[in-house]
Amino acid sequence: MSGVDGVAFGVSVFLFLVVTILGFAATRWRRAKSLDNLDEWGLGGRGFGTFVAWFLIGGDLYTAYTFVAVPATLYAGSVVGFFAIPYGIIAYPLVFLFFPRLWSVSHRHGYVTPADFVQGRYDSRGLALAIALTGILATMPYIALQLVGMQVVLEVMGITAPGDSWLVKDLPLFIAFGFLAAYTYKAGMRAPALIAFVKDALIYIVIIVAVIYIPAQVGGWSHVFEAANDSFTSFNTDNADAIAAGQASPRGMIPPEAAHWAYASLALGSALALFMYPHSVTGVLSTRSRSVIRRNAALLPAYSVLLGLLSLLGFVAIAAGVKVENPQQSVPQLFEEQFSPWFAGVAFAAIVIGALVPAAIMSIAAANLWTRNVYKAYLRRDATPAQEAQQSKLVSLLVKVGALVFVLALSKDFAINLQLLGGVWMLQTLPAIVLGLYTRWFHRWALLAGWAVGMAYGTWLAYGVSSPVKEHFGGPLVEFPFTDTLVYIAVVAFLANLVVTVVLTVVLRALKVDPGVDQTRPQDFHADAGDPGVEEAREHGAPVHA
Amino acid sequence: MSSRGRWAVVYLLLAPAVVLPLWVSLYDRTDPTLFGFPFFFWFQFALIILAVALTVPAYLIAQGAERADRVRHGLPAEPPVTDPPAKEEQP
Repeated sequence: MSGVDGVAFGVSVFLFLVVTILGFAATRWRRAKSLDNLDEWGLGGRGFGTFVAWFLIGGDLYTAYTFVAVPATLYAGSVVGFFAIPYGIIAYPLVFLFFPRLWSVSHRHGYVTPADFVQGRYDSRGLALAIALTGILATMPYIALQLVGMQVVLEVMGITAPGDSWLVKDLPLFIAFGFLAAYTYKAGMRAPALIAFVKDALIYIVIIVAVIYIPAQVGGWSHVFEAANDSFTSFNTDNADAIAAGQASPRGMIPPEAAHWAYASLALGSALALFMYPHSVTGVLSTRSRSVIRRNAALLPAYSVLLGLLSLLGFVAIAAGVKVENPQQSVPQLFEEQFSPWFAGVAFAAIVIGALVPAAIMSIAAANLWTRNVYKAYLRRDATPAQEAQQSKLVSLLVKVGALVFVLALSKDFAINLQLLGGVWMLQTLPAIVLGLYTRWFHRWALLAGWAVGMAYGTWLAYGVSSPVKEHFGGPLVEFPFTDTLVYIAVVAFLANLVVTVVLTVVLRALKVDPGVDQTRPQDFHADAGDPGVEEAREHGAPVHA
Repeated sequence: MSSRGRWAVVYLLLAPAVVLPLWVSLYDRTDPTLFGFPFFFWFQFALIILAVALTVPAYLIAQGAERADRVRHGLPAEPPVTDPPAKEEQP
């Protein structure tokens, strides 16, 4: 190791150890009779109140990768980079409206995953399997990107063990992930819930200090925006020929007219997809009551303010003269240059710990999907709750190993491509899940066909996007069919999905094809904690696949 | 007010939080600036605050609408208070 600041390193390691101890202690937190079922291991006992849920869901959605990647896009001068903010604004009213219904029906019937609900509502193991596999497929690269976030910080800190082999070089990453895997295995959802307190507290402190202290050091916010603007303008002038030839993208701060739909559709599509992700559903289902979800829809935007300020640090890095090859290093590098070593240590620890919470919840969510909708639905239909929990614990380990291999052995680009596709894919599960919360009009086979069309079309569109640096998967935008307006691929694929679903539903209903038996009743969508049926579901684990 | 009417008010309250951010030509400008922030940036921060300010009354109205819906579906207006296992809110 060379060039490592001892103080920064010491502070980071200390905070990391605190979190590790908390992770293991979490088995005793809100102690249950036994952790040997998915309600306890996989959903933390379904009992988190407003306060815990705020830290947990916030810690879950605003990931380390977000904290590294969003400022990086602003640093790199992407005109649509700030879309993360309208995305956050739009997401919460949607949560407010439809998540309480999903919560109620899930509690009544003991559903652990969104695919469980689809299975119960549409009586189709095939459709549930499609939803589950989409979730697992989209979550794996997302976990991998948490590692990318950690890697970036470790690189800036200068912590890489000597030697050329990736196995040795990334030893610190292995150690961090090993601890994470161990306490998630033992404590389940309780571990990230408890760690989220430390993670979020650290992140809030670091960002608030950063946005007050650093801009003042470099000449105030107006200077920051001027400096960023000047740098983008001079880049555009210097590279005018390359831009005209399509070999470089023009830089800017504010989306020009031509990019309005791109900006808006990225925000809308991502907001709709966000809450289809298994880890968000898992976070929301771990809450105690419907009101907890609604209150959090009003409280979680605090994180959006934080993310907005953090992303502007991308401009601050430009004003401070930070020069890095990889834009993702811009903010960590800014911290190292501007903060005193001990506070830089706190900031680095905040990002590394920030990767652990979402990685834990994502691996739990993916494991739950596997266990409920593949293992129990197909492989072992008579599995007991204890066997389900055991299966989930093992799979949560496997998923993490998979993510490690992803990042270390395969290319980082591969994970980023898949993450880009993840949003496109998750949106294709919306009709079955969200529309299913309101109506049973749609036919199960129509939903499955719509999903397949959306998945294939979206993937194909993304494959066809080339950028100056990449031949395929070059970005999230395509021209909307028959126009030259750029929009988010997920939205285009989603519209195709909807059209297929509606048309086929009309046909299948006219042909009177068996729609399956709906397990739910209208009142299930209004049930709250304490209602008859809700508690029993928790005690016995209602037989979804009976 | 009927439950339907209450829900209409909730939707009306939440609509600006979904529609305004998508209306980019409303805020794609630099001026007026605030504390050095171009309009584009501070307007979107203001939208976050507006969204929260609208979600709070929407929450209160939705609670009433919920009660009416519960009765309509044959549930008691309030869930019966059982003794939930005493769990600590703080870590």
